[in-house]
Amino acid sequence: MKRLFAAIAAASAMLAGGLTTPAQAQKDLTVALVPGLTTDAFYITMHRGAQHAADALGIELLFQGAPDFNPTLQVPVLNAVIARRPDAILIAPTDKVQLVEPLRRAQDEGIPVITVDTFIDDGQYQDGSGPGDFPLSYIASDNVLGGRIAARALAEGIGEQGTVYVSNVKPGISTTDQREEGFKLEMANYPGVTVLATQFNDDDANKAASQLQAVLARNPNLAGVFGANLFSAVGAANGVRAAGKSGEIRVVAFDAPQSIVNDIEEGLVDMAIAQHPAEIGYYGVMTAYAHLTGQSVPIAIGTGFTVIDADNYGDPDIAKFIYSE
Amino acid sequence: MKATPILSVEGLSKRFGGVHALEQVSFELFPGEVLALAGDNGAGKSTLIKAISGVYRPDDGRILYKGEPVAFDNPRQARDLGIETIYQDLALADNLDIGANVFLGREPLRRLFGLLPALDRKRMRQEALQAIETLDIEIKRLDVPVRTLSGGQRQAVAIGRAIYWKAEILIMDEPTAALGVPEQRKVRALVEGLKEQKVGVIFISHNLGDIFAVADRILVLRRGIMAGIRRTADTDADEIVKLMVGG
Amino acid sequence: MTTLEASSPLAARQAVVVRWLAVAWSWLFLALLLVFFEVWARAAYDTSFLLNRFNIQSITLFAVAPLLLALGQTLVIISGGIDLSVGFTMGLAAVICARLMQWLDPALGPELSLVIGILAAFAVALIPGLTNGYLIAWLGVPAFIGTLGMYGIARGTGFLAAGGTTVPVRNEYLAFLGNDRILGIPVPVIITILVVLLMHYVLSQSRFGQYTYAIGGNREAAIRAGINVKRHTMAIYVIAALCAAMSGVLYTARFSAGAAQAGEPLLLDAIAAVVIGGASLFGGSGTIIGTVIGALIIAVIQYGLVFINVEPFWQFVAVGVVIIISVLVDQSRSRLTGAHQEDR
Repeated sequence: MKRLFAAIAAASAMLAGGLTTPAQAQKDLTVALVPGLTTDAFYITMHRGAQHAADALGIELLFQGAPDFNPTLQVPVLNAVIARRPDAILIAPTDKVQLVEPLRRAQDEGIPVITVDTFIDDGQYQDGSGPGDFPLSYIASDNVLGGRIAARALAEGIGEQGTVYVSNVKPGISTTDQREEGFKLEMANYPGVTVLATQFNDDDANKAASQLQAVLARNPNLAGVFGANLFSAVGAANGVRAAGKSGEIRVVAFDAPQSIVNDIEEGLVDMAIAQHPAEIGYYGVMTAYAHLTGQSVPIAIGTGFTVIDADNYGDPDIAKFIYSE
Repeated sequence: MKATPILSVEGLSKRFGGVHALEQVSFELFPGEVLALAGDNGAGKSTLIKAISGVYRPDDGRILYKGEPVAFDNPRQARDLGIETIYQDLALADNLDIGANVFLGREPLRRLFGLLPALDRKRMRQEALQAIETLDIEIKRLDVPVRTLSGGQRQAVAIGRAIYWKAEILIMDEPTAALGVPEQRKVRALVEGLKEQKVGVIFISHNLGDIFAVADRILVLRRGIMAGIRRTADTDADEIVKLMVGG
Repeated sequence: MTTLEASSPLAARQAVVVRWLAVAWSWLFLALLLVFFEVWARAAYDTSFLLNRFNIQSITLFAVAPLLLALGQTLVIISGGIDLSVGFTMGLAAVICARLMQWLDPALGPELSLVIGILAAFAVALIPGLTNGYLIAWLGVPAFIGTLGMYGIARGTGFLAAGGTTVPVRNEYLAFLGNDRILGIPVPVIITILVVLLMHYVLSQSRFGQYTYAIGGNREAAIRAGINVKRHTMAIYVIAALCAAMSGVLYTARFSAGAAQAGEPLLLDAIAAVVIGGASLFGGSGTIIGTVIGALIIAVIQYGLVFINVEPFWQFVAVGVVIIISVLVDQSRSRLTGAHQEDR
């Protein structure tokens, strides 16, 4: 806290106020949220959660990001945000390595950094190791765990017997790679289930649908598919539908925007693994506030998952995890 | 050449800003006559043909076509009256066949299954062939893009198009510039053929050999003014060059 | 131009052979691919690849979206242009269609909201189409740049209209359009076949088609022949946008949701289909049938490699190789048929 205090001399009066009489200075605090991309229900829902927290605390929230999940686009946005001199930055870094130095700039300017959803370096912060050790905290759902939950749900759905595969976007994206990894690790515990080669669809539902049909044509006993993100799942579900196999081939979707829930309702998708992006946003802002008001914060916060299926999607306690627009 | 002139140009002037591109140019063109335009670069040859073909509106003077004063707003109006211009780049669509080029913009249609309008390619090819045969040019294949034709054949297509559409005045801008010697000879023959069909030809060339080979008269321009007009039979290359460079 | 005197008969004969090859090589390639997968399927799995209705349905359905984009793109490329914006025009149309139907359904019922939704998808596509045409034909902006700008605009607007996510929509008639079959043929495939027939007629039989070739071959010649090149160019870009809208509507119908990024991954496949189908990126050549073959080649490769269980990354390699081969064919074609491009 001393380092931060010294670094932002220009803002010291405000910050001093924040330290001594929080109620008075609350309105002057600004937290920026930089998502991985702005055009995604996941981050939009995260924004909503963060806004709730900001409203509850009476502080200001900035939301600025790039339209694609791409470090080349995210870094300029980050620099512009740093120039606005917020009191803290919440960011979903789009690359583990490439975002380290740009974020260090924020740190050097005295702006504390918290990463949400994705991480820099090894994701283990404040342990004295690695170039990207400086962020205060990493708040996210554990995607490996999410993949495991998907595997368990799918295995159960197919009676722990049969052939399945993962429909994925493309290799190299940390979150979807982790989901696939978790899925395969967990499926190893089910000797009756065979996992075929992963199909990559470039985030194209049309291609994902065609791939499902080709896999099915070759493997008529195909029992299930795990769509590792929205378009992978939507496409796979459509492929199942075109093959007239709805209900026979189980489809598990990762992420839960409204369109997936509609598909569950119509029996095209069997289960969706909903992350809790609003929770991530909410705790992100809360963590920043706690830090800015002199509290110590945990270096990692794991948020949960909810499995949504045809039996529970109408339950308000479950429906709140459906991603908003 | 006792007939009435098909084209009379009287006191034509064109200025661009302060530059006098053309100043008081007057001449007549008779059916079946070839008039060569000679002059150095910038002498006003292009300006003159653009004024006649409707690209530019002259600032002063008038143009009489078959004795009637005319004023063109665009090249299309000139073409509709029968004044065709063939530019250096031939204005052919290289990827289309001869019929398509001759009829470009005015394609005949037939009825597909007695219902749908469709291009009548057969008719386009046949009639294009007839037009080109009047020029005494032989073309073996009609269904290939004109890109595959020789330079002389391509000139023939462009001229054939003008004839097919009943051009009475044909303006040719450097028709031999890009051609080899045998092809140049072929183009001269084409111009001879046009004379027989009583077409009036205005012919721009840098090549005095061409000019003396085909032209009946030579109009020399120098810096926008008429340096002189001579019958080919009564002059020689030396005189024309002197008129072109002045002095 | 130096060899022209001697080139006449030889060049003509050569051109015929080359032209025939240029058209036929894609048919040949498709046939080879089918034979390859058929042999593999029989040898390795004791099943048929081609005599399998399910495979045929899947492949044709797969080809629909990129093919619709490619049909409009064919006209654009023949005229000597390129349209980079069609992918996001498709997404924008898909979102608008879904958004409007979702919104109007409670008030107007499924039939009327379906009609309005589809009309709105086409109407909204007119905006990028007309703007592209105006920029390129009237303001002289290079097609690559103008449509790249429109790519960004359509993309941003699409995401804005969608609120950043996919827009779910429920409508039984729409679901029929997207997912039902008539006589075993998926409805989107039937619709696409109709569009193909219409476009083929327009391009090969009408004056409009003829002028498209003329503009691509020699724009000046087209202008001098009295063709209204500006208006024609605009019409071409509008057609490309309308084809994209058709693709967007069928996307929404198939997946019961509109997504702004629906067409993003399809743009390059669409351009590849046109080029594989024998069109030159320099303009002046190309056919609708060629483009259909090109789109089928891409679909067969991508589907077939999954079917025979080839490592996924080889799929990228295979499509890349086919694109390079087709561009090489395009280049050798223009080299063999004369100094056409250098002339311009």
